[in-house]
Amino acid sequence: MERDNPSVAQRRIFSLLAILILSSSLALEAATDPPSTPKGISPEKVADYVHAIVEADRNVYTTHIVKRMQDQGVVMAREDWEGKNAIPLPAQFLHYSSKIVAESGSGIRFRLISLWPIYLRNGPATEFERKALEQLNANPNVPQRGIVATGKKQFFQAVYADKGISSSCITCHNAHPLSPKRDFKMGDVMGAVVITIPLED
Amino acid sequence: MKVPKAPKPSEKRKKGLTRKLVLSMLLVGALPLLIGLLLAFFQGTQEIREVSGTSFEALATETARKLDLVIADELSRTALLTINANLIHLLENRRDALSEIRQETLTPLLQQESEAWQSKDLDFLSTIAEGPIVEELQRHVRGTYIDLGYPVPVITRSTTRSLYITDRAGRLVASLDAKAPYLHAEEDWWKSAFHNGVGQPYIGPIQFDPQHQTYTFTLALPIMDSLRYEAVGVLRRIYDAKEFFAPSIDIIRFGETGHVMLIDSRGVVLSCPILPTGTAVSDHTLIPLVTPMYPGWTPAPSDGHGGQKTSIIGFAPLSNANRITQSSNGLSWHMFVWQSSEELFGPIQHFFKWTAAFGLLGVGLLVTLGYLAAHRIAAPIRRLQEAARRIGRGEFQEPILLSTGDEIEELAEEVNRMNQQLASQFAGLESQVELKTQEVKYLQESTTQILDSVPDPVVMIGPQEQIEYLNQASKEALVLKNGNVEGTPLFQLLQLDPPTQAKLRQEIHLVQSGVLTAPPAATPDQLIKKLHDPLSPVSWEHSGGDRRELQLNQRTYRYRWFAIPAPPGKEPGVGLVLRDITEESLLQDQLIQGEKLVSLGVLSAGIGHELNNPLVGVIGLGEAIQEEADPEHIKEYARGIVQHGKRMASVVRDFTGQVGKQFSEAQTLVNINEQLERTLTAVQSVFQSSPVEVRTRFAPLPPLPARPFELGQAFTNVITNAFQAMKDGGTLEIATTVLEQEIHITIRDTGKGIEPNHLPKVFDPFFTTKGQGEGSGLGLTVAHRIITKLGGQIRLDSKKNHGTVCLIILPITSNKHMEHKES
Repeated sequence: MERDNPSVAQRRIFSLLAILILSSSLALEAATDPPSTPKGISPEKVADYVHAIVEADRNVYTTHIVKRMQDQGVVMAREDWEGKNAIPLPAQFLHYSSKIVAESGSGIRFRLISLWPIYLRNGPATEFERKALEQLNANPNVPQRGIVATGKKQFFQAVYADKGISSSCITCHNAHPLSPKRDFKMGDVMGAVVITIPLED
Repeated sequence: MKVPKAPKPSEKRKKGLTRKLVLSMLLVGALPLLIGLLLAFFQGTQEIREVSGTSFEALATETARKLDLVIADELSRTALLTINANLIHLLENRRDALSEIRQETLTPLLQQESEAWQSKDLDFLSTIAEGPIVEELQRHVRGTYIDLGYPVPVITRSTTRSLYITDRAGRLVASLDAKAPYLHAEEDWWKSAFHNGVGQPYIGPIQFDPQHQTYTFTLALPIMDSLRYEAVGVLRRIYDAKEFFAPSIDIIRFGETGHVMLIDSRGVVLSCPILPTGTAVSDHTLIPLVTPMYPGWTPAPSDGHGGQKTSIIGFAPLSNANRITQSSNGLSWHMFVWQSSEELFGPIQHFFKWTAAFGLLGVGLLVTLGYLAAHRIAAPIRRLQEAARRIGRGEFQEPILLSTGDEIEELAEEVNRMNQQLASQFAGLESQVELKTQEVKYLQESTTQILDSVPDPVVMIGPQEQIEYLNQASKEALVLKNGNVEGTPLFQLLQLDPPTQAKLRQEIHLVQSGVLTAPPAATPDQLIKKLHDPLSPVSWEHSGGDRRELQLNQRTYRYRWFAIPAPPGKEPGVGLVLRDITEESLLQDQLIQGEKLVSLGVLSAGIGHELNNPLVGVIGLGEAIQEEADPEHIKEYARGIVQHGKRMASVVRDFTGQVGKQFSEAQTLVNINEQLERTLTAVQSVFQSSPVEVRTRFAPLPPLPARPFELGQAFTNVITNAFQAMKDGGTLEIATTVLEQEIHITIRDTGKGIEPNHLPKVFDPFFTTKGQGEGSGLGLTVAHRIITKLGGQIRLDSKKNHGTVCLIILPITSNKHMEHKES
């Protein structure tokens, strides 16, 4: 019986997620649909829009769901939430939504990276990403943009600073045994959201 | 004070108290011990179960965590291969090349390459099985690979059976194994790991690999492009399941049977020190119990290893690995910790056995000591019981001397006291019983004497008609020589004809059933009557409306039955009283005969009187004829003589008719009023000289069956008395009336009456107050006899000088009844 509660909570969260992601992908489709905009829309703008939605979704999840639930003692967010009476961490929320977006096949991808990742796979994949992170660390408010390539494929990438907005983010990263940095404070840049948009030939 | 009827139950009871005491000691001592032992056993078992369960759960959880880490480690080290920049560059190029090939040409191309690989084309083989990337793979597998992230050389296990890399079309790009197939795009592991370019790790189910002749499982990882934007290839690594898991699992053993094993959610064993990899657990019902997605322990009906005993099983899922396996193929992996029940509960069962053995010893001691103690308690009680039994039998004995110093001693004193009191009371009772017995004897004797002194025979018979008692009179009547006839059947003694026997039997039966009873006690009237006429056995005649007489030894007996009340539980007997009426009836017959002669005298006097007048007339007329010459006158006188002669002839004719009737009269229906009238006329003619005024008042009456002459005789006697009492004149009143089925005849005179002291004697024979020649003293006696013979009554009431009233009551009975009576 106890195990039903988290699953109900999880289902609710996921249905909320689904709505959020649907709305964001609708926005993306609108933004990437060239025939509807004869003048064209720059990838920078598209990345900004997408980032705004992703950021908003994750913030809503963090402050209005996770924090509220934990404060009221309803359910805790933890990394091994599956099979436990728990819900995913905000970072995991972003990973899952990122995966769903990728699986949708629309081409646009986003992921969370950091210079101090708990898991190495979340480190910068390219030199561009490393530099962007360093830049954002120094100047969080200026997103880093650029054109990158893999083989013959070209992509537009925009990297937005990701700050610790909730005490749970800070405490978790400072306490996790695999975390390479343990002195985060509220408002610190903890990583970045990378948005990758394929460029047409 | 019960005296046991048979000795057996008392023998049984003899040991009862001792047994009870021993039993209660056993109950008090052994039952709590037993219950405590059982409770301790069950509690101990429960606790062992609890403790083992939680330990097993902890062990399962720990092992699951460890294995999770092993898998995660394997995953991350294998993942190092997928971030090889050269490999990624190669695969990116392949991707770009593929994007330039059209779909129509791609399929034949793939087919061509596959054939080349299968035919072991050396050139083609070398592009895949050789080169820097293959070398890299080899180094990795051999354990000589050093990565910046891993400061020490990785000691790779020799568990890898195959390792190869495909590009985004599923073609083999690099392989350590020349036997690997070329195209993989249609295989589950490939599709799952490639995941439409998104890429996700894959861990496959355990299955038998025909190529390697062992159970294997697949780990497949996507190879992402340099931007980690999309998958450009897939790496597959095939592990020997047993070899991969055994080092982490099979080494964990505790006790004789305790071990850890890894199963998947289908119940297939991945690794177990006992069961071979690839087999299924023996009991399928166990699977849902031990494969939830959380750790725990459960008491299960079997052990999964073929045993059917209740087992304690600890379990835990491999939570991290399951995240991958579940998204890959829906299966999950679980740790399973088990130890055999025998071993688990062995110590407590051992303990229980020993405790039970010692407990039995204790019980034995308890029984022995208890028996001794009970015997000490029971022995004085048994002495008391013996004493009480003897007191009960009436054998008073010496006082019991007990010195137990407890309640039993007090009880003994009480018994002694009771004994004394009973002794004194019994003495009084005995003398009383003796007295009563004597009284009963006396009563018996006096009753016998009374009955023997009764002149009438009295016979008492039992329910089966057997004689129970005969009094002296009956013995004499029946002419019995030997006195002892008790038990003889009644009808053997009474020699009777069969119809009479049948009648008597019927009457006995009626008396026994209470229908026929003795007559009611005589009323004062009847008593007076008895005094008036001792010869008249009124009560006998009225007893049942039926005359009971029987002939026995040439004598006539009148008899009467009476019921003898029986003691409780016995059938009532019947008594028979006989009265010899032989002389009585002879006397009565003589009386009637005598009276008839008397009345003949009266009749003769009447006839004389009747004849005298005409005779005087005849004589006078004869004398006149002698002196008369005139023939006319003579003729006239002669006519007178003839007339007188005729009259005399008629008188004589009447007389002869009367006398003839007297002796041969049969019963006919008689009109009482007419008979009275006739009698009155006859008597009046005798008492012509008396100046008596006669008044008659007759009511209409039914005819009665009777002998008219007899009835006339009774009336004549009463009316004659009335006329004789009124010699100086008076009034005679004769009235008839019907009252309640009876005819009442009142004859009242105003004569001189009867002296009060004479009144009781008027019906006695030969009692008379009349002068010599006037009366025989039998008139009223005969009248009484006749009336009572008809079932009627006759009473006289008189006051000196005021006259006499005679009341005759005749019952109106049916003709039939009367005839029967006469017969």
